[in-house]
Amino acid sequence: MSPGSSASDEHPPAGLRAGTATERHGTPAASDEAHAQGRAHFQAQLQQLEANALGGLDLIVEQLDRVLEALQHQDVELAQMVIADDDRVDGRYLEVHQGILSLLALQAPVAGDLRLVAALLHMIKHIERMGDQCVNIAKLIPLSGYEPPVHREMLDALAKMGAFARSEVVQSKAAFAARDVGLAEDLVRQDREINRLNREIFRLAIEIGDDPDTREWAMHMTLVARALERIGDNAVDIGEQVAFVVTGLFREFPAPRPPVPRAPQPPGTQAS
Amino acid sequence: MTTGALADRAPAGGEASLQAKPGLSVRLEQLRAFYGSAEQVKGVDLEFRANEVTAIIGPSGCGKSTMVRCINRMHEEIPGARAEGRVLLEDLDVYDPSVDVVAVRRAVGMVFQKPNPFPTMSIFDNVAAGPRLSSRRGDIRAKVEAALRGAGLWDEVADRLDEPGAGLSGGQQQRLCIARSLAVDPEVILMDEPCSALDPIATLKIEELIEELKRRVTIVIVTHNMQQAARVADRTAFMLDGRLVEIGPTQEIFTKPSDSRTEEYVTGKFG
Repeated sequence: MSPGSSASDEHPPAGLRAGTATERHGTPAASDEAHAQGRAHFQAQLQQLEANALGGLDLIVEQLDRVLEALQHQDVELAQMVIADDDRVDGRYLEVHQGILSLLALQAPVAGDLRLVAALLHMIKHIERMGDQCVNIAKLIPLSGYEPPVHREMLDALAKMGAFARSEVVQSKAAFAARDVGLAEDLVRQDREINRLNREIFRLAIEIGDDPDTREWAMHMTLVARALERIGDNAVDIGEQVAFVVTGLFREFPAPRPPVPRAPQPPGTQAS
Repeated sequence: MTTGALADRAPAGGEASLQAKPGLSVRLEQLRAFYGSAEQVKGVDLEFRANEVTAIIGPSGCGKSTMVRCINRMHEEIPGARAEGRVLLEDLDVYDPSVDVVAVRRAVGMVFQKPNPFPTMSIFDNVAAGPRLSSRRGDIRAKVEAALRGAGLWDEVADRLDEPGAGLSGGQQQRLCIARSLAVDPEVILMDEPCSALDPIATLKIEELIEELKRRVTIVIVTHNMQQAARVADRTAFMLDGRLVEIGPTQEIFTKPSDSRTEEYVTGKFG
């Protein structure tokens, strides 16, 4: 036996004699067991926070459904309910925001946990903005009175836009919950449709004719279209946060193609 | 570079040691450390860059303290302990047979978990002990003052330099130990859990001091406190089971580590 191995019977000093601790906690094989004890309380808090934030997207879907219905049927009372219920969205924002502050102050999350917390902070802000856009739409509804001069084609385009916006919100939630970057990137495709419809509605409004009441209504509808377009953008922003949580890199998803400028028309040839 | 050349780097005047100067880098090449036949560090390649603070984190028993103690050849002081591989201080292999161990330890100072001032010596003598032993005496008083200033302790002890070092508070004692290593103009300072016995205010002072010290020396700090690593280190290395898992800019280790084991450790999922 070599002198080196005979010396192995000697114990290293207490501070260094922690090999057994490594075997217990340090190896990946044992980490699952330790995981449960590790920061279980913190992990539970973080999961709850994420569930609360994602629940905010469900509130947006509810608000969006009702405001779109109110728009189709010129339902002023339903629009008023949407405005009143924005307090629930704002309440959710405050609750999640406070939860994030507490977690940062008390638990000092790092790495993947830190990225998740930062993404939730972004997400809840976008949710609050989407809630405000629903209110903006709801506030436009009574301005045209109970029987406005409705233009069917425009209203149909808005309904399509609304359906896309709703679908984007639902998909952004699913992508975040599943940490699915592919699903998040797919939001851009839907957003392209929303942007196309937004331009379409703008065109319809320009071409709607000379009747002042109809034109006023059409102006309001372009504002509705703008609000829906913004909701789509917010959903894409949430999708970008999914990519950030997963990869650690923030990148803007490729912007939809810019609209092709219309060729200037000679005076007097515009639709009247 | 010979050991003599190492000593030549030390500035002659005491005041000079307060000035910024380039430190030396430390490079580990296939470093292995044993206690008898038990291998505690299992082949680590790692560079500590000059004038940077590098933190070593990892669960208890992962070999981080052992690794650091190999840098100034403290490891071999333990009976049965030995190291293999190379530890390069710039281009000097500290394990080269021609190298003088004392010169290595002067160039690479060490601060331990528990402050260990010489208990019977005065504050002044604690700091003066190193310069008195060194070949170039110079102005001892100036060196002591410069070292105490460098350790952020001068203002607190200037009027009681003759009192015993053991009479200071824990945090002051730790800074006294830092002053003691500064007094011999080291190139590198190793810190093994330097704040684990200190209260938060004393810890904060040491951390502020580390930021100051890196203008002059290269710092390697072993810590169990991940927030401390995050606060003080330019780069952070994560060790597990005697091996280096990952080293990177501290910000990356704590926001976007590339190895899943690092992620699990820093987020507290094991350790």
